[in-house]
Amino acid sequence: MLMNFDKLGAWRWILSGICALMALFLLLPILFIVALSFGNSRWLIFPPPGWTLKWYGELFADPRWLQAAFTSAKIAVIVMVLSVAIGLMASLALVRGRFRGREVLRGFFLTPMVLPVVIIAVALYAAFLRLGLNGTLVGFVIAHLIVALPFSIITISGALETFDPSIEDAAILCGASPWEARFRVTLPAISHGLFSAAIFSFLISWDEVVLAIFMASPTLQTLPVKVWTTLRQDLTPVIAAASTLLVLLTVVLMIAAALIRKGKSR
Amino acid sequence: MLSFLTPARRGSGLGMAMPALLLLLAFFVIPVAGLLSRSVTEPVTGLQNYETLLGSATYLRIFFNTFLVSGLVTLITALIAFPVAWALAIMPSRVAAVVFAIILLSMWTNLLARTYAWMVLLQQTGLVNRILMAIGIIDQPIQLTNNLIGVTIGMVYIMLPFMILPLYGVIKKIDPAILQAAALCGATKGQALRRVLLPLATPGIASGALMVFVMSLGYFVTPSLLGGTANMMLAELIVQQVQSLLNWGMGGAAAFILLVVTLALYALQLRLFEGKAR
Repeated sequence: MLMNFDKLGAWRWILSGICALMALFLLLPILFIVALSFGNSRWLIFPPPGWTLKWYGELFADPRWLQAAFTSAKIAVIVMVLSVAIGLMASLALVRGRFRGREVLRGFFLTPMVLPVVIIAVALYAAFLRLGLNGTLVGFVIAHLIVALPFSIITISGALETFDPSIEDAAILCGASPWEARFRVTLPAISHGLFSAAIFSFLISWDEVVLAIFMASPTLQTLPVKVWTTLRQDLTPVIAAASTLLVLLTVVLMIAAALIRKGKSR
Repeated sequence: MLSFLTPARRGSGLGMAMPALLLLLAFFVIPVAGLLSRSVTEPVTGLQNYETLLGSATYLRIFFNTFLVSGLVTLITALIAFPVAWALAIMPSRVAAVVFAIILLSMWTNLLARTYAWMVLLQQTGLVNRILMAIGIIDQPIQLTNNLIGVTIGMVYIMLPFMILPLYGVIKKIDPAILQAAALCGATKGQALRRVLLPLATPGIASGALMVFVMSLGYFVTPSLLGGTANMMLAELIVQQVQSLLNWGMGGAAAFILLVVTLALYALQLRLFEGKAR
C-alpha cells in the first residue's frame, strides 16, 4: 500500500508536494544565478529592473578571468588523462590481480575520498613548501590527481568487474597477442567506464576549490580560486556571469555522461 | 582454467598498482603524516597544542559550532530526504527522472556558484528577507548570513543529494509485498509507516546521515563564506592556524582531531552496514 503510488490516497499529494518543493529548492538558486547574470542591477536586486549583457562583457574584458579559465582547463585536462591512465592500471591490479592484501589496497586507494579535503590541502601545502611546488602547474596537477583518482578507480573497476576476462582469453586463443587483446578487446569493452572516469576527473579538477586555494600563487590561479578571491571582496554580478558559464558546462558534461550511459545499455 | 595461464593475467599483478601506490605514498600519506607529527613537535615537543585546543573556551566553541551545524544539517536533510526518497521510489519513472536530473544538476554545479547564490539570496536586501517581509512573518530584514543560520541553510542545500541518493537505493529495494501484507493484516497507513516502512528504511537513513555528518564536519568553503570569522568551524580553524598565523603545531593538532573523528565515524559505518550487506 505504502509502496504503491496509486493506492496512497491523500498521502500521494503530500509526498508529491514535498518532492516538488525539494526539487524547486534545489533548482531555483541555480536559475536565480542565471537570471542575475543577465540583470542590470549591480546591487543584485531581483527581479532586475532591466536586462543586460554587461557582466559578460566585464568578464571577457578582464584577462585575469580568461587566464584563470585557461589554467583551469589545462590542469583539468592533464588530471583527466593521468587519472584515467593510472586509474586503469590500478583497477586492473585490483580486479584481476592475484596478490595478498588486495582488499586493503582497495581501501587505501579510496582514503583520499574519505578524508576531509582541507587536511589534504594543508598537508600538501606544507610538503610543497619544501619541494617548491606551490604555485606551479605540477603542484596543482598532483593535488587534483590525489582527489580525482579514487573516483576514477571506482568507475573503472566497476566497469572491469562486469567484463568477463575469458573474452580476452578467447582473443588470445584466436591469435591476438596479450597486449593486442587488452587494447583491442578489453579497452573498447570498458570504454564507457573510461569515459565516465574521464568526465568525473575533469569535473573534480575543474571545480576543486580548497586544494586550489593553497596551491595558487598571484601569477597562477584557477577559475575557482579567482571566483573565491572575488567573492571575498564583493558579490559582483560578474560572478553570476562566470557561474552561469560554469552551470552551462556542467549541463553539457552531464548530457555527455548520460549519452555514454545510454550507449552502454544498448 | 585458462585465465591464470595466459600472460594477460600475469601482467596485472601488484606492478600495475605501483603508479597509484607511489603517488599516494609520496603526496598523500607522507604529507599527512608530516602534518600530524608537527602537532606534537611544534613549537616544542609535547601535547601542549592539544591542551590548548581542548582547554580553552574559544576553541571549544569552534568544536561546538562544528558539531551543532553538522548535527542540524544531518537532521534537516534526513527529514526532507525520507519523504523525497520514498516518493522517488514509487513515482511514475518519467516524473522521477526529472527530479533525478535536478538532483544531479545541483550536485554537479560548481560549489562556489551554489554558495554565491545563497550569499545573494540571504543578504539583508536579498530575496529571502524580502519574501519573508512581504508575507508578514518579519517586519525588518533579519541577519541570515555571517552566522550559523546561513551556514546551515547553505550546507543543507549542498548535502541533500548525499542523503537522498543512498536512501532512495534502500527504499527502492523494499519489497512492496511486505507493505501489502501489513495492509492486509489490518495496519493503518500510519502504523505501516511507523512499524514497517521506517524500520526497513533505517539502514539507509543511518548510512546517509553518517555520510552527511562526516562530510559536514570537515567542510570549509560554505562555512567560511556564509558564516564569517566570528562563527568558525573546525576546517576554518585549521586553515586559519596554518595560513594566517603560521602556527603549524595548532593546525596539525586540529587536523588530527578532525581526522580521528572522521575515520572513527567511517569505521562505524563500515561495521554497521558492510556486515549487514553480507
